[in-house]
This record gives sequence, structure tokens and C-alpha cells, in this order.
Amino acid sequence: MSAHFIERPRYTCSLGGATFAVNALPGGIPILHAPAGCAGSFAWAQNGGSGLQVGGNCGPLAIPSSNLQESEVVFGGDARLRQQVENTLKVVEGGLYVVLTSCVTEIVGDDILSVVKDFRAEGASIIGAKTGGFKGNAYHGYDILLQALFKDFIEARKPKRRGSVNVWGIAPYLDPFWRGNLLGVRRLLQSLGLQVNSFFAGEDSLEAIRASAEAELNIVVSDVYGIDAAVAFEERHGTPFLATSLPIGPSASSAFLTAVAERLGTAETVLDAALHEGNRTYYKTLEALTDCYQDMDLQRYAVVVGDANYAVALTRFLAEDLGWLPELTVCTDQLDGEEQARLTARLDQVKNVAANLVFETDGSEVIGHLNRRWPRSQGQRYYNAFSPAFVLGSSFERELAQAIGAPHLSISFPVANRAILNRGYTGFGNGLTLVEDLLSAIVNGR
Amino acid sequence: MSCYDLKVAPKREDRLKTCIAHSGGVCGMGGKAKACMIDDGERGFTQGSICLLLVALAILDSLPETVVLIHGAVGCGSCAHSQNANARSGAAARFGQAKDAIWLSTALNEVDVISGAEEKLKSAIREADRRYRPKSMAVVSGCVPGLIGDDIDSVILELQPQVSARLVPVHCEGFKTKIWATAYDAVYHGIGKNLLSERNPAVERAPLTAADELARVQEQEKLKRTVNLMNVSSMGRVDEVELERLLQALGLEANLFPVFAHPDSFHKATRAALSVSTCPTHDDYFLQQLQEQFGVPFIIKRMPIGIRNTSLWLKDIAAHFGLGEAADRLIDAEEREVRAALAQFRPLFEGRKVYLSAGEFRALVTAQLLEELGFEVSGIRMFHHDAFANDEYDKLAATARQDYTVNVANCQPFEEANLLKKVHPDLFLGHVNGNGTAAKLGIPTHTIYNTGLAYVGYRGAFEVARRLHRTLRNPAFNRNLAAWAELPYKAAWYASDPFAYLDTRKEAL
Repeated sequence: MSAHFIERPRYTCSLGGATFAVNALPGGIPILHAPAGCAGSFAWAQNGGSGLQVGGNCGPLAIPSSNLQESEVVFGGDARLRQQVENTLKVVEGGLYVVLTSCVTEIVGDDILSVVKDFRAEGASIIGAKTGGFKGNAYHGYDILLQALFKDFIEARKPKRRGSVNVWGIAPYLDPFWRGNLLGVRRLLQSLGLQVNSFFAGEDSLEAIRASAEAELNIVVSDVYGIDAAVAFEERHGTPFLATSLPIGPSASSAFLTAVAERLGTAETVLDAALHEGNRTYYKTLEALTDCYQDMDLQRYAVVVGDANYAVALTRFLAEDLGWLPELTVCTDQLDGEEQARLTARLDQVKNVAANLVFETDGSEVIGHLNRRWPRSQGQRYYNAFSPAFVLGSSFERELAQAIGAPHLSISFPVANRAILNRGYTGFGNGLTLVEDLLSAIVNGR
Repeated sequence: MSCYDLKVAPKREDRLKTCIAHSGGVCGMGGKAKACMIDDGERGFTQGSICLLLVALAILDSLPETVVLIHGAVGCGSCAHSQNANARSGAAARFGQAKDAIWLSTALNEVDVISGAEEKLKSAIREADRRYRPKSMAVVSGCVPGLIGDDIDSVILELQPQVSARLVPVHCEGFKTKIWATAYDAVYHGIGKNLLSERNPAVERAPLTAADELARVQEQEKLKRTVNLMNVSSMGRVDEVELERLLQALGLEANLFPVFAHPDSFHKATRAALSVSTCPTHDDYFLQQLQEQFGVPFIIKRMPIGIRNTSLWLKDIAAHFGLGEAADRLIDAEEREVRAALAQFRPLFEGRKVYLSAGEFRALVTAQLLEELGFEVSGIRMFHHDAFANDEYDKLAATARQDYTVNVANCQPFEEANLLKKVHPDLFLGHVNGNGTAAKLGIPTHTIYNTGLAYVGYRGAFEVARRLHRTLRNPAFNRNLAAWAELPYKAAWYASDPFAYLDTRKEAL
């Protein structure tokens, strides 16, 4: 890992992450207060990283943007922003307009929030967020956007409504499987009889989002993404939160449901029924694989390379559900010490195989970590090789997979070599989808 | 004084008076003068597009054994995720193996913004040189260094003696130019100042043997027939092969430059007998340098898309080498063969209305190709306007059945949506991320640019026709999409003048 650069960053900037999230909000219209190129950079990041998904209803190059030039840098861009917002409200149909700042407007010091305030005073459904790209990466931008929603869009609600929860922690487009994963989490929570608002799923609505302060619990399916927003939500609206890792497969889904039920005081019979049904369906279906899994010797060593969500969730799935040997887990996010400690603690709890977690932003360094973890052959006659192996990562891990002669599946951003629309891996049934994808990569030459 | 004496290439709105916001009829656009005579009446409502950084990275990410170090916030350069697909497929087509491009970001943060990041950049250059051992390293600056005053040129001057890679500064501060085609000048500026000298030139010795002498003469003879064929990434390998084939038929060799060229081979461009542009939007800045500094003459007039324009492009080159007759014979045979092959598609194309949107030159020559295929052009949008393409407007004006609208727009799909609702074309050809509007309106669409597909030369004319025939035979994808997907514009917008926001930006000043 370099202290001076990031190799092929696996995310864009905070403005980008916030833009992706607004694109995914029902009726969300981003208004970028930015130079012209930011929108295009995000479109091309999605094109190359989000499994062929670009945009949304008001996606990539349709995004209203003030397209700042040198004159605004010199004289300030407030007037231009005012003009842009006024005209956006005339031309573009939306339920919620969100003004987002860029590096340029942050450095120049434009006061976007007072521009936004004036339009709100005139009745426009509009909020603003300060997302200048140098403030952090796209996951941070996702968090900032949520905080802005919680502060300026959702209404104060008391008392809390029993059985109503909010869930977040899956960043649209940065998780190429965001739609399917949100849906998977919704289904899990619905199996406990809960009413779920998840902000970005097809079943969500602006009305439900506006009323989301009535939730009795916020559930963040991430140890990193959206945690600051959860803290802000609790401070403002009094709803506590539960942070879990992304529940992929039966073990994690069972633990997830158990943790949620415990926090909400859900009846034991309801929980037991949900656990039973989820596990029964998973294993009844998996049963058909039994012969081939054994006969074809489909157990694998594995390297997992992913963002903070996937690094943990995939490792756990492999070790606890599939019975593989994930010997090295690499988290490619830039995290602070506390966040790293949270992930480490999570992986320490993984059963069956002791996880080995490394924080490394640069994909080309992963093979070095693997060689340190699993010494290379010294030419000895009987060498306990790292084989048969499998690489789960982003599409950048193709080169690693090639180097160690292993099949590979792209899951974490960037996913350039798969088409993803509705697919998700969260929950019980979607764990089977992951089994299908992993094993298909092994047998596709059969 | 040459532009190369400057630290940074001038922006095109100054150098070429290029504009991005205009509407008019096709008949009034061409033949105005040597410079663009249109005042840039910019919009008071705008949508995001791209900046020169994206275009520059498309070129730089293709260079073998090169690291691209982006000095900026972490989002500048995330476009490279898409460009990496081109780098991979381009490398596979040329060198037999797909390879990921290497791009790095200094990922400037709040502390860097406050205290400056030149030291961070220096450390990054040193470490990248050590880790990747590249032959060249492009140091590309985004908006932030331009705002906080980081001087990448002086950093590079200081660091060059300490590292083995040849360092190339490329200035891409997006807010400084609204014309993203300035990227070509920015990249050529960096290449022209830093990569054109031969790295370890062989010491010139008197030939010792007759064989040495023969090899020397052969090399000189070859250079007399070598043409720099410029490609800044708007052609894939399949298009390069077509142009190489045509040049070889005239006994000429192509030196493809600069995409996918090895940085240690760039000096070859200075020894060629002629440089030929394949898109006049791209290359004038560099071709002038090659002529002024190295005496390599150039032709920058046409784009070899479409039958007639390919033939004219070839004739220009042939005339330079005194190969006019050979070219006439070649062109005659090629045209006859491709026209005969195109006849099968014509019944489906005849009289159908087509709308196009792309870079100015590409849009105009592709429109001519579509006329050759039997379509009727009903409107053209171009990313910018300058004087290079005036002849192409004249050609289109000569064949236009009516004075259809041309719209100069750096994307701005809201204008496009309004126009398409009024014009109702049967087919739309748009650039990358530029077909979504037409597609959601149910119009059959085809991409006007994709480096994996053939567009150029006679082969390209046939392949475009073949693909359009396929598109039109079953346009169900877009038709179904249109029944359910919506564009994000208010109903009232479609009732207003598509150009209502032209000339309104100044109201905010």
C-alpha cells in the first residue's frame, strides 16, 4: 500500500457516490454544482465498474450541472447556481432535487446551502449536500447524502411505529448488486413481519422516506458505509441503530435475523419460523448439488478481495456455508483505525477457518500478500500448493487469478465483465445464486 | 512563438474560437471563413458532460509500459474504469493479450487542499517509478492542483533526474476550458515536448560492410514511403487495419500514432514522409509541430468514413506521393465492389430519416455515409463547432432535401429530447452515453463510435450498413423500453423552443 497514491481506485469521489445515490432515489434529481466533466467521469465509472448499469431515470449526461468555468472560479458561482436551479425546476421532472458540490465549488467557497434555502422557502422540494470530491471517496459521499436526507428531507416523527425499520449500508452502483442486495435484505426483514424502508429499492417511495423517522430501528448492513449517517439519524430523530455485516448466505442471514429480532423483541416463534423456512429452502435446494460437489471435488482455497462489505461477507460465506478455505482476505478501502478494527473483529468471529485480513488499496500488491501468507514452492518434490484455488474480487483480480491459475468471479467494484441488473447475493436464497456463480466459473469449460 | 514554448497548451476557445452552443440550418454553417465565426451563446440551463481529462486518459491509458498518475481528487480518473475495457481489448487485438492499464491517483484530501500537495506528488512519482518501472509516466493534473496552485511542471523538472521513466506533464484542469477537444492539444503538448527524442540513439558510424550500407539505404527508402497515421482513440484496431490495407495497396507504410504506440518508439513519427489526420478535430496542434520542427508535411482535411470521403482521403495522400493514377485504379475497384455489396441492404434504408449526434467531424461524415446508404438526414448535433469541418457542411448542404437543423451542444440531451419529439426520425446514431435519450423514445439507435466496431474505409461502410440493417430488422429493445421508461423532462419542456436556453447563461453574470 502506498502512502502517496491509490492504484486504480475502486470507487469514485464523494460527489460521485452522492450522485449515484440520488440517481437511485425514487424521484431523485441531482444538480451538480461542478465543472462539466464530473458527470461524465461518473458515467464512465459506472460503465466500467457497475456491471453495465449506467445512470437511472436522470442518469449520466442528463444530470443537471452548472458546468463551471474559469469565470465562476474567479467571481464565484452562486449566481450561476441560482440560475441553474431555477431552470432545472422548469425543465426537469423530479420529486426531490439535490444540489451537490464539487471540489471547485468547495474551494471557491460558494454558499450553496443558502441558495438551496431560498428555493425551499419558495416551496421547492430541494436539499443540498457538501460533497466536494477531496472530502473522501464515493462511500463517504453516500454517507453524506444520507445525512443530508435525514437532516433536511425526512420529517420529525414521534412516537415510533412498532415493527417499522429503515435499512441502508449498500451504496447504489458502488455495489453493482445493489438492487438485488437491497431486495434480499428487505425479504429477510419482511420474513420477521417488519415494514421496511430501504430508500433506494424499487419498492421504496419518497413518501415512505419522508416518514422514515417513525422507524423504531435503523439497520445498517455495513460496518463502514452509512455508520456516520446512523449516528446523525439517532441524534436528530432518536432512532437507535444496529450495524451488521452484509448478510450473504444462510449463516449470516440467520445471525442477521437473530440480531434484529433480539433488538426489536420479536416473538421467538416468528424468528424461529423465519430461520427454519430460510434454512430449509436453502438446503433443500442445495441438496441437488451433493453428488457433483463431492465427485468433482469442488472445495477450493480462496482469496477474497473486496470493499469493506464484501471482504467480510464473502469470506464468511465461503468459510461457514460453502466449506471452502478463504486463506486471504483483502479489503481495498482506505479505512481509519477504528473502521479497520471493526472489520477485524468481524472476521475474527468467522467460524471454521481463521481469517487473515489485510488492508491494501492496490490490487497489484495482493499477490505479494498471498505469497507471504502461503509460501511459494521452493522446488521441493512434495509441495503443499495453494491449489485448487478460486479468486473472488473485482475484475482487476483477473490478473491475480491468471497468475495463480485459478478461476475468478467479479463481485466487488469494478465489475467490468458481468451484466448485472437484479442479481443479489444477500439472504438465504441468494446464497444459492452465489453458489451457482462460483461453481459455474469452475465448470464452464466442462 | 510556437505553442510548444508555452507551459500549457492554449484552450481551443482561444486558439480556434471553438464554440459549444448554437443552432442553425445546415445550409448556413459551412464556408463562413477560416475561423469559426459563431459567437458562443452559452446556455443558462446545462447538463453535465465530460471534460478534457476524460479524453486525455483515453489516449494515455492505451500506451504500453506507461503509468498514468492523476494528480487530483480521487474521482478524477474514475472514467478510466470504462477506458480500461478499451485498453484491454486494444492490447489483445494488437499484442495478443489483454492487459489492464495502470492508473494511479494522488487522491487529494482536505489537508492537501489546504497545505498544497507538491511533496505528495513527488513521493508518488518516485514510488510509482520504483514499483512499476514504466518507460514513461504521464502526470495528469485535475481541477484541484489548478486551484491550489500546485506546479506539476516544476515538480517534474525536479524529479526527472531521479527517476527512470520519462515524465510527461499533461494539464487537464477541467474548469479551464469548456472545449474538451483541448485534450488532444494537452496530450500532444506533453508528448511533443518530452517523448519525441530517441531514448538511446544508436551511434552513427560509417557503414562497415556492403550489407550495412544496404540496410541503411533500405531503411531510408522505407521512411520515404512511411505515413504517420494519426489515431487518438477514435478508431479501433479493425479500422486501423482497413486504412493500413489501403495505404499498402499504394505501396505506403503506416506508422500508427499515438494510441497503443510504445513511448520509446515515438521518435519514429519525426522521420516519416507525411502525417495524415484521420479526424481533423484531433491533430492540427501536433501536425504543425511535426512540420515546423522535423519537416514532416501533413494533410489534415478529411475523415475516411463513408465511400466518397474515404476515396477523397486516399486521393489526397496519393497526390502527395505522385501516385494519383494508382489511387484512381484502386478507388475505382474498391468503390465498385463495396457499392455492389451494399445493394442488398438498400431496400430497408431507402428514404428513412436519420438523426446523428457526435463530435463535429465524425457526425458530419457519418451523415454523408448514411446518405450513401440511402437514408435521408433529418438533423445533426455536434459537440462543438470550429472551422475544420466547413467543407463537410457544404457537402451536406448540397445534398440536403431541406435545410434541416444543426445543433451545436456539448451533449445537452434535453435539447435532443425536444428535437427528437418534433422530428421523429426512423433511426438515431449517437456517441458513447449519447443514445439513451433516443432509445427511451423508442427510436432505433446505433452507436456512432465504439473502438471494437468497424466504421472506417470501405470495410467500415459495409459493416455500418450491416449493423444498421440488423438494428432496423428488430428494434424491439428500444420500442419496448419506450413503453415503460420515461425521460426526466417535464411535459411543458417538449412544448417549448428546443433552444430556449441558448444565449441565457450571461444572465447569471
